[in-house]
Amino acid sequence: MAKLWAVIKREFLERVRSRWYLLSTLLAPVFFGVIAIVPIIISARTKPSPDLSHVVILDATGTQLGVRVSGELAGGIYAAPSRAIVRAIAPSELAAAESIATHEVMRKHDPILGYLVLDSGTIAGRSERYAGRNASALIDVKTIEESVRQALLTQRLESEGLQPSRIRELTKVDLEMKAERLSDRGREIGGLANALFSYLIAFVLYTMLVLYGQQILRGVMEEKTSRVAEVVISSVSTDTLLAGKVIGVGSASLTQILVWTASTALVFRGRGFILSAFHVANVKIPIPHIGISVALLLLAFFVLGFIFYAALFAAMGSTVSNEQDVQQASLPVMLMLVASIVFIQPILLDPTSTFSKVMSWLPFSAPILMPLRMTLIQVSWAELGGTLVGLIAGCVLATWFAARVYRVGMLMYGKRPSFREIGRWVRAA
Amino acid sequence: MAEPAIDIQQVRKSFDGHVAVKNLTLQVPRGSVYGLLGPNGAGKTTTIRMILDIIAPDSGTISVFGQPSISGRDGNRIGYLPEERGLYKKMQVRRVLKFLAELKGVRGREADKRIEMWLARLSLTGGDKDWGNFKVEELSRGMQQKVQFIGALVHEPELVILDEPFSGLDPINAQALKDTVVDLRRQGRTVIFSTHLMENAERLCDAVCIIAHGDKVLDGTVAALKVEHGGHYIAFALGDPRPSAVADILADRSLVKRVDDSNRTVEIELAPNADAQLLLRKLLDVGATVERFELVQPSLHRIFIDTVGATGVEAGMSGHG
Repeated sequence: MAKLWAVIKREFLERVRSRWYLLSTLLAPVFFGVIAIVPIIISARTKPSPDLSHVVILDATGTQLGVRVSGELAGGIYAAPSRAIVRAIAPSELAAAESIATHEVMRKHDPILGYLVLDSGTIAGRSERYAGRNASALIDVKTIEESVRQALLTQRLESEGLQPSRIRELTKVDLEMKAERLSDRGREIGGLANALFSYLIAFVLYTMLVLYGQQILRGVMEEKTSRVAEVVISSVSTDTLLAGKVIGVGSASLTQILVWTASTALVFRGRGFILSAFHVANVKIPIPHIGISVALLLLAFFVLGFIFYAALFAAMGSTVSNEQDVQQASLPVMLMLVASIVFIQPILLDPTSTFSKVMSWLPFSAPILMPLRMTLIQVSWAELGGTLVGLIAGCVLATWFAARVYRVGMLMYGKRPSFREIGRWVRAA
Repeated sequence: MAEPAIDIQQVRKSFDGHVAVKNLTLQVPRGSVYGLLGPNGAGKTTTIRMILDIIAPDSGTISVFGQPSISGRDGNRIGYLPEERGLYKKMQVRRVLKFLAELKGVRGREADKRIEMWLARLSLTGGDKDWGNFKVEELSRGMQQKVQFIGALVHEPELVILDEPFSGLDPINAQALKDTVVDLRRQGRTVIFSTHLMENAERLCDAVCIIAHGDKVLDGTVAALKVEHGGHYIAFALGDPRPSAVADILADRSLVKRVDDSNRTVEIELAPNADAQLLLRKLLDVGATVERFELVQPSLHRIFIDTVGATGVEAGMSGHG
């Protein structure tokens, strides 16, 4: 027990003392803070998109529609004067007017954004046409379309005898849909923010498993190639050494995650203070509520996933004797991790499908995909329990396999063994 | 004799069909310096690893201080310096030593105290630099070896196993190592070292075992081995004038196997089964004046070459010795 503790202590302290660890632990929260807060500051400081009224309106309707659209484009009657150039033309002159307008749009200095064609189809409420530099900007096109719709509506209602101010009152509808997720925990924040959050969790889990798994692999390989393993193994059993390694490195990574979580939470809490330093008003940032049970589950999935992958990475590390073989040796383990991460998107899109369910149950993908699914949608306790039991069984199997490979591999030098040879080690050990 | 420090009985170990150690039986007396001699690939390192319980024998038993291997031998009583040396390169010297001490059950202040004592003793501290605060990779090869040596001794083991301790050591460090071995012996500890350098073994060892091809060729105390293998080498000096018949005697292949005539002294190796007394009588009979006639003890080197050479010394399998 004392020896296990000595191994754990060494693995933990040597990791934590490294410059890389210190930097990543301290800088990551700063990075998270920056990506959360800077967009708010930027969006508060920048002007809205370019003045959409800087267009030519070719009005072939024979009505005042062009003028109305011009006003709407500038932001309605309360807005700044419109820069739109309205040209009332006869339908027969439309082709000629369009080619002139095209020239104006293509002009190099002081170009106008585009031209809008209003004709009898528009009056009938069927069609309008816009050609311009910003025609592929979805939001701009949407705004122009909305302006024409509003102008047409106003014109129709006015012809029915309504007062312009009254029309504005009646037609002013600023609808914004807020989606909320309903679950056993009650009302929660909307789909997109939640999906992003789940994605972030899965991604952080994946990153940590890969980074620290590779560190374990390299650590084992270094112990072996520097031949320090021989002295260590003469003092502790390989099982103790392997266990100490997994626990020590695992604690270092867990510490890092906890520091990140705590400091990120602090930045979010204190964002009002930080934002006010930049003279920007506080903004509500939607974060899904994480209850204690979800937090514990996430922790369980990380710890078990770490044990599973760390054991396998250590086993693979014990089969290599030189740097060149590292990539190849870690490939089978990396494939399992990659197989988990590539299915993030399909599961995000449809977390209830059979495929999503199965992927979140399998021991090798569960540590990444179950946290993703369970934060996306409601997963039953029975399913979670079953997945955890499966994952624990996977861990037992992985550590059993790893201990056997490790025992033989640590004292084998020379050529990297084939998988058949590794199989023989497992049977013989 | 008291219970031996190590008792190896009928031990056999093979890897993938190749036999590294076959039916090895030997005892290492307590408090002795014991040499495990043999050519590369003889099975020395495999034997040492089995003593340390790093690998298990296929058959046979190994007891250390009376404890059989399976029962979870107390590794804290053994110190080990492997042939292939290495330490955690990125770790500070003091931290590596503390870790190695902790693995052997020495903790806290006690470990710190002993580490300081050893660092000073092997002059890694006390000079213009305190090497204890450097990373292992910043030390020279010789200094790294010293650190590893400290690691093997910091828990004051009763049994110290040194695998090829002199390889790669410069004369000054080799001397420091020899002094330490002598010191350990004086404290009543048992030291085993494997080597193929016979001069070191001859000077340091109380007893040796020579193994080749995983098999014991011979073992015993150095003194006994010399007596056993002595008697074949004779050095004598004759007064002037030397009778011409002496040349005939030395040419007699039934009596003399090899001659190294240096005029003033003649060194010869007797033919098998030849008698030294007969040679002396013959010399006297032809009228030679024998000024000196002595049976010379063979060197360990000579014994090694004779015995191992007889069973074929062509180097064995690659890898571990």
